[in-house]
Order: sequence, then C-alpha cells, then structure tokens
Amino acid sequence: MIATVQPLIPALRRYARALLRDRDDADDLVQDVLERATANWAGRRKGGTARAWLFAILHNLAMDRLRRRMRRGVDDPIDEVSEARLASPPQQEDGFGQRDVMALLGQLPDEQRSVLLLVGVEELSYAEAAAILDIPQGTVMSRLSRGRERLRRLMEEGVDGSARPYLRIVS
Amino acid sequence: MIDRPVTEAEIQAYVDGRLSGEREEAVAAWLAERPDEAGRVHAYRVQRDALRSALASVAAEPVPPELDLRLRVRPERTGQSRAIAVAGMAALFVAGGGTGWALRDWSTPPNAGTAALAREAAASYSVYASDRERPVELAASDRQQLDDWFSQRLSRPVKAPDLHSAGLQLIGGRLVATGHGPAGLYLYEDSAGNRIALYVRPMETEGNDRMKSREEGSVRGWTWADDGLGCAVFGTAPGNRLHETADLVRAQLRAA
Repeated sequence: MIATVQPLIPALRRYARALLRDRDDADDLVQDVLERATANWAGRRKGGTARAWLFAILHNLAMDRLRRRMRRGVDDPIDEVSEARLASPPQQEDGFGQRDVMALLGQLPDEQRSVLLLVGVEELSYAEAAAILDIPQGTVMSRLSRGRERLRRLMEEGVDGSARPYLRIVS
Repeated sequence: MIDRPVTEAEIQAYVDGRLSGEREEAVAAWLAERPDEAGRVHAYRVQRDALRSALASVAAEPVPPELDLRLRVRPERTGQSRAIAVAGMAALFVAGGGTGWALRDWSTPPNAGTAALAREAAASYSVYASDRERPVELAASDRQQLDDWFSQRLSRPVKAPDLHSAGLQLIGGRLVATGHGPAGLYLYEDSAGNRIALYVRPMETEGNDRMKSREEGSVRGWTWADDGLGCAVFGTAPGNRLHETADLVRAQLRAA
C-alpha cells in the first residue's frame, strides 16, 4: 500500500493546494485522505486505478471543506492574492504571474476548476476524471470546454474583470 | 481527410494531445483554415501550461513528515527506532570502554519483552491463520483438551476466552515453538471467515506490561502482559475491532 500511495502524495498535495489555496488546510486535508485510504485500502473498488480512487476521496473531502468555508463565510483568499498580485512582478514568459493564473482559476465554479486541474495539471484520463467526479465523460468534456473558455476570457480581461485589462498591467 | 465534422470535445482532446493520429491530423487541418479556433486552442494550451507551472513548486516540495506514509503508518516504528537508538548507545558505551550491558537494566533488548511477543504472534498469525486446510492442531470441539495441553506446556492455567460477544468463534489452537519456549496459539473466526489469533506464553521480562498497539507488516494487533503471562491479539481486522477484542480477552483472562 505504501509503495503505491507514497509516490502519489506530491500530486495529492498539489490538487489539494489548488482547490483550497491554503497550505496548512490543504496538507491537513491530504492527511485526512491518507488516513481514510489506509483504513479502507482493502475495500477499495478494484475497477479503477489507485490514483483515481485517492483523488476521488480527496475531491469529495475538499468539496466538503469548501462548502463549510462558504457557510462560515470565511474570506476567500482570492482577495488577498489579488492584492498581492500588484506587488509581485509577473514571471511567466507569456506575460502573467503564477499567482495571477491561480487567482483567475479561483474565480471559476468548483465544477469547472476541478476538471481543468484533474485533466490539465494532474493529467488524468477523461474516464478517470469522470470516475473521480462521479459524472459522465461527456459532462467532463463540456465542463472542460466551458472552464477553459471562461479562464481564457478572464485572462484576457484581468483578475477582477474590472477596467484594468490584464495585459496592460503586465506590459 | 475532413469527412467527419470536428466536435468541441475533439478540440479539447486536441489541446490535451489525446486524439488518435488520424483525428489529430483532421483537427489540425480543420484548425489551419480557422485562425480564430486555432487561437483558442493556443490560448487553452497557454493556460494549461501556466497552471502546471504555477503548481509545479507544490509537487516539488519534499513531503512533510506528517504526510510521509513510511514514517506514519506504523506506530510500532517508534519502538523499533528506540531499540535501534539503544543499540547505538550500547555500541558507544563499548567503544568508550564502558559496559554496554548495564543498559539491560533499564531498557528491554529488542529480542525480549512484549516487542518480541508481538513479532512471534504476527509470524504465527501469518503462517497459520491463512491456512485454510489445517490452521489448528486441535479443533474447538476438543477445547478442554486444548486448554489442558496449553496449561501443562506453559506451566500455568490457560483457558480459551469466549469471544461470542465479539462475533468470534473458536476454531481451535496449536502449540508454537519460540526462542522463549512454547507458546499457545488460539484461532478465532467471524461469520465472514476473518480470523483473529490469541497468542500466549510466559514472559521472562516485562511480566507486567500495559496494552500496546503493534504493527508487523500487514498484520496488526495488541500486546500486554499480566502476572507473567504475555498475550497478543493479532489479525487484519480494521479500526478498533482488534483493540476491542483484546480488551475482552484481557478482561476474561484476568477474571479466570
């Protein structure tokens, strides 16, 4: 079990961090995932990959946490990042900083953000992403399409979609 | 080439480089005639790469110790590392001209005590509980004979606990040879066929020891010692089940 799960921990941390945008919260979540995975390892479905199984546990627990955050009305860290954006110079050759793209991604609905991360960053297959999110593969494709288009527009407009066009800030 | 219309899903798959060779060419040809669509594909690839590079540093971080399974799945490791530390100190004592043996007075060597009992119990469980043909020498129907045999060989009264309240039925037992003399192994089984071992033998050291969680490879359990009798409950059952069973066993053995 350790031999299978241990190499996946960096990717689990990455997905958790991308969803929760908070290092401690994300690592706490991963710890939760590892505990559940350890306890239920023998009973996992044999159909899918261990990777998809772990990401599914992580995804569901992350959504629980995000819902709880919403109910508590915790300030969305996006605001802080937006502020920080102005103080941190852009680093990408394409003309935008790494914090920027994460802040923009944070403006997408959870369902689109998850698909963009699972497919684009974690490089899971469409079928695996569908299993993780418990949706048909066709829905994965349409969320991918809508999410990418939305992020593209946000990147063209700027972080908050206000009169500060994105490209003007970085140029 | 372009006999089939290009779908939106195919454009997404093209962005991800997941189309078959033939469709990949078809979509590329289709995009070549549509600069707006080609620009969209390019933008999607740029955003995907931006996300990857924004998150690359997270995956590159060393895994924090509290998330490292090699460090955290086995609580027993603390006992092992202590034993290793003690061994290291003993070596220092010898190197320094002191007497390493003095350490025996305040620290149990790793091949004795309930730590050794745990290893024996786990090994016995692995060998016998998995045996579907002949896991025991004496079946539960010879329970009295089994108890008498163990009592005689362990030089103290031993009696198989009744674990029906934990959903476990005795299937029998066998005598096991150890470096510390004979030990008794009782095997129990639940209605689903999951087996749990109760392993008992007299203790040379740590004749009284609190209940401790143990993990030996894929087998888990609990050990304790009461009045010179070392006991171990081992199995592969999840969660608190083994602990609850161990509590039940200890209560019955103490009452006997």
